[in-house]
Amino acid sequence: MEPLELFRTLISVENNFIKGWKHQNKPVLGYACSYTPEEIIYAGEILPIRVLGSLEPPKLADVYLPVNVCSFAKSCFNKALKGEYSVLDGYVVSNSCDNQNKIYDLWRHRTSIHKTYFINTPHSTTENSLKFFFEELERFKEWLTRKFDVEISDENLRDAIGIFNEHRRLLKHVYELRKRDPPLVSGSEALEIVLSSMMVPKDEYNKLLSALLEEIERREDLPKKGVRLLVSGSFMGNSELLRLIESVRGCVVADDLCTGSRYFWNLVNENMEPTMAIAERYLCKIPCPFMYSSEERFKYVREMAKLFDVEGVLIFSIKSCDVHSFDAPLLAEELRENEGLPVSCLEWEYSLSGIAQLRTRIEAFIEMLEG
Amino acid sequence: MSDRRLETLKGFYRNYVKPFYGKAHKAKEQGKLVVWVASTFPVEILQAMDMIPVWPEHYASLCGARRVSVPLCELAERKGFSKDICSYPRCVLGSLFDGENLPEGGIPKPDILVASTCACDTHLKWFQVASRIFKKPLFLLDVPYNVESASSKDLKDYYIQHYVSQLGDLVSLLEKHSGVRLKRDKLRKTLVLSNRTSELWLKVQDYRKKVPAPMGAREAFSAVYFILCIPGTEQAVDFYERLCGELEQMVKQGVGVVEKEKYRLVWDNLPLWFNLQMFQCLRSLGAVVVAETFSHVWAGSLDPSKPYESLARKHLSNMSNCTIERRIELISGLVKDFGANGVILPTNWGCRMMTIGETIVKKKVQETTGVSSLILDVDSTDWRNYNEYRVKTNLEIFLKTLK
Repeated sequence: MEPLELFRTLISVENNFIKGWKHQNKPVLGYACSYTPEEIIYAGEILPIRVLGSLEPPKLADVYLPVNVCSFAKSCFNKALKGEYSVLDGYVVSNSCDNQNKIYDLWRHRTSIHKTYFINTPHSTTENSLKFFFEELERFKEWLTRKFDVEISDENLRDAIGIFNEHRRLLKHVYELRKRDPPLVSGSEALEIVLSSMMVPKDEYNKLLSALLEEIERREDLPKKGVRLLVSGSFMGNSELLRLIESVRGCVVADDLCTGSRYFWNLVNENMEPTMAIAERYLCKIPCPFMYSSEERFKYVREMAKLFDVEGVLIFSIKSCDVHSFDAPLLAEELRENEGLPVSCLEWEYSLSGIAQLRTRIEAFIEMLEG
Repeated sequence: MSDRRLETLKGFYRNYVKPFYGKAHKAKEQGKLVVWVASTFPVEILQAMDMIPVWPEHYASLCGARRVSVPLCELAERKGFSKDICSYPRCVLGSLFDGENLPEGGIPKPDILVASTCACDTHLKWFQVASRIFKKPLFLLDVPYNVESASSKDLKDYYIQHYVSQLGDLVSLLEKHSGVRLKRDKLRKTLVLSNRTSELWLKVQDYRKKVPAPMGAREAFSAVYFILCIPGTEQAVDFYERLCGELEQMVKQGVGVVEKEKYRLVWDNLPLWFNLQMFQCLRSLGAVVVAETFSHVWAGSLDPSKPYESLARKHLSNMSNCTIERRIELISGLVKDFGANGVILPTNWGCRMMTIGETIVKKKVQETTGVSSLILDVDSTDWRNYNEYRVKTNLEIFLKTLK
């Protein structure tokens, strides 16, 4: 579908929206994790964009890092070394995992991005942790104000929350369309929509997406029917892997990805003090596996599987991603035993090396489901 | 060259390790509360409540040293755990899945598990899996990452508050499960013993600054057990006092652990538990490990009048909770203070914390001290990719390049 092509082209740090933003002399801040409270950044008229890395072999990063390191985090660092993030005025990481935390050391020592910040996201959702996170966000706000000479008022925060919530509702609408059979939006298209939304100012993006939703309803070139799958995992910064699944008759109708539903599923409470509301939303959202505990995520994946009427689940772990690797066998067990769902656990490298083997495994799984 | 064995450490496994597991199994039978605990957790609180702390990390290292770790790792892999995760949890989880002929009758089963986010993701995930397997509660201590590598005195107040308020929750939980109340007096006494253990352990390290060094890594990786696992006990104090006594004598007599000391090394990270002979091999080349980063991260000075706050300060500033600057500072400091002329940086395959940034550590240590480092690609307990010839050759060549 033609308008969808546009969304794919937006998944780039060189898109026209970012250029336009920079042209107005407004700062752009890269962020590494879906726990980064974008509303706070946006409220200061700073554009938050997601650092997505790339699939190319990380030749420069390989000089500093061995193979037993998350290839996604490595690819982001590689791009920074190559100077492909020169558009960024700063970089923010969250206390999300050992790979990111330790590669943050390398970003500080080896890249030319000097304004860097580390948000100390707690790993539990207790009252103590929420109080701590609130304090942490207040300090993040101060840092942004100081470093970028901007103002972040409660009023700006409320506006940002409104825009982001609207954005989340629109993305949920896109996902709703995937409940049909065949889905009105394919898995790769849906991922491209979510990814592109991380690279464009949200108010402008909301307009684009509203228009797209109207067009999609009239769409004639429907995605192919296939085995309905849910894809679970960490990070997918492009749609290559989902396209691969689709090329072997898989039909990805739902996901549990940090660049998919986990990014937007929960809204911010608009009736609370804004910073606390943001703290609560991010800390208590559908958890990524670095949070304690994973049981809540497992429950949510089971619900998603039912809601989207899936026939099987593919669990992807990027090699050397500890938090997902520990969860994968447990989640698989939970889905098999409690939902009676067939599950395949697959390890992959963000560079897609070993793709032929991956394709064979996915195809075999789909063939099994086809019966 | 012959190498000398320390009297105090003779029969270490039989005298200390074996009884530790025996006692824990017995306590379990008697219905006492067995608590699984991960390093960098304030174990003094458990000790003050007469609980039986069991360290899965210690059990993994023990399985490595007894050379049974790989079959156990394989059992975990068969259950779907990736080969790329830390071999410690693979080994211990494997032992829970039909492991046979386990050392010391297996790891005693927990009634409750406690871990902190201080050291790595692996602690949290590993204990989470175990908590699910045993259907026992896990208490997670959420420790803010010390992103400025602040010293124990310079930590932000709200970091300390967050830590301290959780210790209150921890104690309530333990009291509820054990029916035992934490007595302030007992905690104070435990902290006093813990402080004494720290002082003595640092004194042990001080003796190693002498030339020739009276103790090497082989001994240190055994003796560290007391400060790591049971710091707040008379037994720890007693052992270190005797060890200090022996080292004092050796220093007076000018006796080193190696007859002719040619090289003094700093060892980062963990040893190869399955091949502790490597330290002997180094000694035969005249090389003695005079300091390990692992021996220099557990001591701390606790204020018995402010138990929670001082435990918070100690653990928040632990090297494993800090950025790379702290690690560089520690290693460079050890090189200078111990007169080392080389650093060994062994990676640990499943350990992101220590693997990532090693290239920077190497470079910065060289810049600040003029001493070079060797990065060794190894794993502490999984020997399947270990190549003895390659590692030995690397070490030999490295030693020859040292000044």
